[in-house]
Amino acid sequence: MKHAYGGRTVLSIEHLIVAKASIVGLRGPNGSGKSTLLRLLGLIEKPVEGEILFNGQAVEPFSPEGRFRISLLPQEPFLMKRGVFGNVAYGIRIRGDVRDLTGRVHEALSLVGLSGRDFVQRPWYALSGGEAQRVALAARLALRPDVLLLDEPTASVDIPSAERIREAAFKAREEMGTTLVIASHHWQWLYEVCDEVFHLFGGKILGKGRETILFGPWTRFDSGLWGKRFGDQHFIVASRPPSDESAAIVHVGSIEEDNVRVDENDVVLKGTITRINLERNSGRLVATIAVGHQNFIVELTERQTRERTLFPGKDVFVHYCPKKIRWV
Amino acid sequence: MKRPRLVILLSVVFLMVMGAPCASARGEKTLTMATTTSTDNTGLLDYLAPEYQQATGTELKWIATGTGKALKLGENCDVDIVMVHSPAAEKVFVEKGFGIDRHQVMYNDFVIIGPESDPAHIKGTSIKEALQTVKSLHGPFISRGDNSGTHQKELSLWASAGLPAPDKEDWYVQTGQGMLATIQIAAERSGYTMTDRGTYIKYEHNSGGNTPLKILVQADAVLLNQYSVIAVNPARCPNVKHEAATQFIRWITSPGVQEQIGRFSLMGKPLFTPNASR
Amino acid sequence: MDFLLEGLFQAVQLLIGGDAETYSAVWATLRVSGYSMGCSLMIGVPLGFCLGYFDFRGKKPLRTMVDTLMALPTVFIGLLVYAFLTRNGPLGDFGLLFTLPGIAIGQTILALPVVIGLTAAAVESMDEKLRIALMSLGANRRQLFLSSLWETRQGILAGAIAAYGRVMTEVGISMMVGGNIKWHTRTITTAIALETNKGQFGMGIALGLVLLAIAFCVNVSVSLLRKRN
Repeated sequence: MKHAYGGRTVLSIEHLIVAKASIVGLRGPNGSGKSTLLRLLGLIEKPVEGEILFNGQAVEPFSPEGRFRISLLPQEPFLMKRGVFGNVAYGIRIRGDVRDLTGRVHEALSLVGLSGRDFVQRPWYALSGGEAQRVALAARLALRPDVLLLDEPTASVDIPSAERIREAAFKAREEMGTTLVIASHHWQWLYEVCDEVFHLFGGKILGKGRETILFGPWTRFDSGLWGKRFGDQHFIVASRPPSDESAAIVHVGSIEEDNVRVDENDVVLKGTITRINLERNSGRLVATIAVGHQNFIVELTERQTRERTLFPGKDVFVHYCPKKIRWV
Repeated sequence: MKRPRLVILLSVVFLMVMGAPCASARGEKTLTMATTTSTDNTGLLDYLAPEYQQATGTELKWIATGTGKALKLGENCDVDIVMVHSPAAEKVFVEKGFGIDRHQVMYNDFVIIGPESDPAHIKGTSIKEALQTVKSLHGPFISRGDNSGTHQKELSLWASAGLPAPDKEDWYVQTGQGMLATIQIAAERSGYTMTDRGTYIKYEHNSGGNTPLKILVQADAVLLNQYSVIAVNPARCPNVKHEAATQFIRWITSPGVQEQIGRFSLMGKPLFTPNASR
Repeated sequence: MDFLLEGLFQAVQLLIGGDAETYSAVWATLRVSGYSMGCSLMIGVPLGFCLGYFDFRGKKPLRTMVDTLMALPTVFIGLLVYAFLTRNGPLGDFGLLFTLPGIAIGQTILALPVVIGLTAAAVESMDEKLRIALMSLGANRRQLFLSSLWETRQGILAGAIAAYGRVMTEVGISMMVGGNIKWHTRTITTAIALETNKGQFGMGIALGLVLLAIAFCVNVSVSLLRKRN
């Protein structure tokens, strides 16, 4: 699937599969295409090239098969110019089936921790950002969608609201089997909750999320090699960077507690472990290692996980092969 | 919840729109006339219209504009009958076949009015002398300046006095407005102006009998102001209500109505002299 | 200057005394502005919405043309409409000249650019997020259109009020197309013109105040609509 705005390609994805009732995460910096991808999956826009299949059927904006089953919650809280009740009831009403409307509205609101006869009367302008986003989520949950797409669900709201939103989304999955696709820059959190995480960069999917990306500008060292400086350490790349804006994707081979050479071609950098996260699905641990101001992300081996010898604050050595660097 | 209110509003508008054609299709008898603002301003038509309706059951509707436009409406077949006071223009109207059945109805006269003090001392003189004096003494003279029948009359007076029609001179004020407004401006400027007697009497009446301007020149033969009615030619305009127009002409020239016209007065002074020939 | 005060007293007298001519003019004004506002809103709001909502070639020049037409002089429109409604004109046989519906046609032409232009502007300033929100709640094309229309109602209302102001106060069309016929097509504005032309300034002021009073009542009821929303 490809998508472009005004001639500029913003998304280029070979293929992407989201399994039913799974929780999928999308991570990546601003401008990586996360929101665009969600909008396309939410059938808000049609991709310039390629197609989207839902339950095997091709769907596009306004498709009856997708219209009522896929719902996107955008990043910025937005409500229509009517009361809370009207906002939550909107989707139900346009579907035509208005049996027990009041009951369903109240039920949806209680899912996000909002309730009360008074609350439903409140006009759109009398809500805080967090309350508005929760109401927006309630409006979508009231539709019992098959797929819920959340764009930075916790970014623009206060902490208690963020909590409620997270809870409500996961509850929906538990009770209704709703598939969740969550875009967030809190990638550590994504690892904790998602079945799989896709790493987006520059409109492309790089991998399953554990990539380390280094950005330019690049320096040419006296030795004639190219790379970046981290304090008195040199990060070296095998070939000249295609351009100053290119980013390098590094696959970190391993981390060692001692400074031993594992492979001839390896470069070794010294760094400190700053975090260790638990990956939900595999049960593995993922470490974040700071080399200067740059973070390297490495998955710990089974042995390292079992033996629990690594902890935040420990100095370790990062191994990588300059030849295996991919440019974006 | 807001929908019903909108529906009600729209239905009201809808009903009003539907109500419109119904009203006009009620089939009342009407006669549409084009006349001049000066005629309308005297109030004569307001006086005669109810009488006419009682006598014939026909409602008289009239449009008051300048003489030129009134005759144009007749030419365009937009009215059934015209009543103006511009014999020269009326003659052309009939000659061109726009109107038929021209009948004189009544006349009044034009007068020159001016400040009571009469700085130019034109009181009692003839028109010719008066205009010559006003010109040499630099007025001020206030004119309609709007190409109306009255204005045309005024211009013809300058011509008959052997003088070129004033235009850009400082002392010659062209108001471009109706007769009453022009008189008021003359009063403000303490100037002279030409008006029909009917409007002057109305002006007197409006100011409660106390006017700064008085009649100074009158009764000169050239000052005659003749009103006539002309039916719009049905041969040219198949849609006009020719019968109704003819009925009106017969009615307004009948002795009884003529007498009524003679009795129409303000402040005890009659505005018109009926002169329909029999 | 005293005609101002005189006018004020007369205005009160006319209204309370139930002067038949005045009330006839008031009713004529209400009827004709009602027709023209009804027509111009029914035609103008959807057109204006489409103009603002969709993207197409020639959109910008069209917007510019609509904005320019907002400044059409009323006498000009009056002349145009007269040319069509006169006996020998294309619509002469309908007998609309010198009638209130005839005036309404002219006033609709006057109001349409205002309604279209301001509705388009309101739609253009509509938040993109609305479209996303409506679609994510499952709206189809028709529901998206109608709901978007409803959301921009404040802007559309502003356009309607502006158009109403133009329509209520115009003289050129009412005079040319209506003929200022007493009891039939004499509206408040043509009555004011008549009285002023007769030099009856006090009466002119009085009728002007009556017009203001009507406009005030209409705007108060509109603002009630606004408050509920």
